[in-house]
Amino acid sequence: MVVGSPLSYKKQYEKEDSKNDKPLANLLVVDDDPDIAHVLKQGFLKNGFLVSAFTDPEEALKNFQSNSKDYCLMLSDIRMPGMSGIRLASRVKQINPDVKVVLMTSFEINDNEFSKVFPSTQVDGFVQKPVSIENLTNKILDTIGETKRRLNEQQ
Amino acid sequence: MMRTNAESSDIESVMEWFEERIEDGENSILVYPNLQTFRQIYTQYVKDQLLAGEEQKEKGNDDDYDYSHNNNRREGQLLMPRIILIATFYDTVNAVKHSLSAVGVDVQSHIDDGSLLIVDAFDGYYPNTNGMNKLVVSLSERARKEGRVGVSVISNMGFFFLYDGDGTASELISYEASLVPKIDGGNVRGFNCYHARDYDNLVDSQKNELLTQGQKKSLEITLSAYDVPLQV
Repeated sequence: MVVGSPLSYKKQYEKEDSKNDKPLANLLVVDDDPDIAHVLKQGFLKNGFLVSAFTDPEEALKNFQSNSKDYCLMLSDIRMPGMSGIRLASRVKQINPDVKVVLMTSFEINDNEFSKVFPSTQVDGFVQKPVSIENLTNKILDTIGETKRRLNEQQ
Repeated sequence: MMRTNAESSDIESVMEWFEERIEDGENSILVYPNLQTFRQIYTQYVKDQLLAGEEQKEKGNDDDYDYSHNNNRREGQLLMPRIILIATFYDTVNAVKHSLSAVGVDVQSHIDDGSLLIVDAFDGYYPNTNGMNKLVVSLSERARKEGRVGVSVISNMGFFFLYDGDGTASELISYEASLVPKIDGGNVRGFNCYHARDYDNLVDSQKNELLTQGQKKSLEITLSAYDVPLQV
């Protein structure tokens, strides 16, 4: 399920953005909890990102397949029915290995388990919920720093 | 597989299935359409079971108590309430506690008196399923020692869909195969609960294997348009 239509949202954002600065980055946000997806979308919008938010990982993947070059980073919940964040991350990296992936969870996973759990999935960051939008924004900016620099150089 | 829909009026029929169709010693499979329905089911079941236990304690006798499915029953013996284990996966342990409190269950007192246990299914199944097996065996033994009605295990199977790779389904099928449809004299009722979106990731032959070639009792709760999208 799309939390707001990404396309209409993009148009809306671009309209608002025409008066302001260029977006910091284009984010794909996935969380099966609609409230969390909504809060993240609104928070990142206020902080200057372009955001497409989904509650259905399958829909998020379809969107990513069509727009993989547009995204800098995917922020996804881990435990989601139908397709976990780990599976989604794996698919996203297969399509575009340059896209950064940050996973988040409300559950505690210690470092040892984490390293055993994700040996084959290149995850660029991990966030324990609850987390403030401010901290998440800083985490995302840190994570995309290199990608952003590369994109700027290409332009 | 039995099918019912998730209209609120039909939660009663789901409860009947839990309480009357599944007997002690049986392992069953439940497919739920969305988390909201699953929460409704486990909160109602826990409430029914634990409130029945409280009433029983207050009465101090078993004259009117229905032990028809209780094979631990001994003549004239007053049995303690059932132990309920919830192995949650998509909700945190605290979220489950919150959902139970919201329907009037005194969560902490039932945890304290040993009638209720809520664990993260990840901890039970990772790094292997022995953790869950050992926990259930220990609860079964404790139930017998304490003279309890039995044990109900409501386990969310989402863990088995967490990781990528072809081995995932085989690990799940192998685990389900280890849970025989019925153990004579057993005091555990097992409810392995699948989100429909996870279950639908399995092919028909795998679903059939999960049901131990149709021997395991199962219930699929459907919605006319399951997991109705919520526009934020």
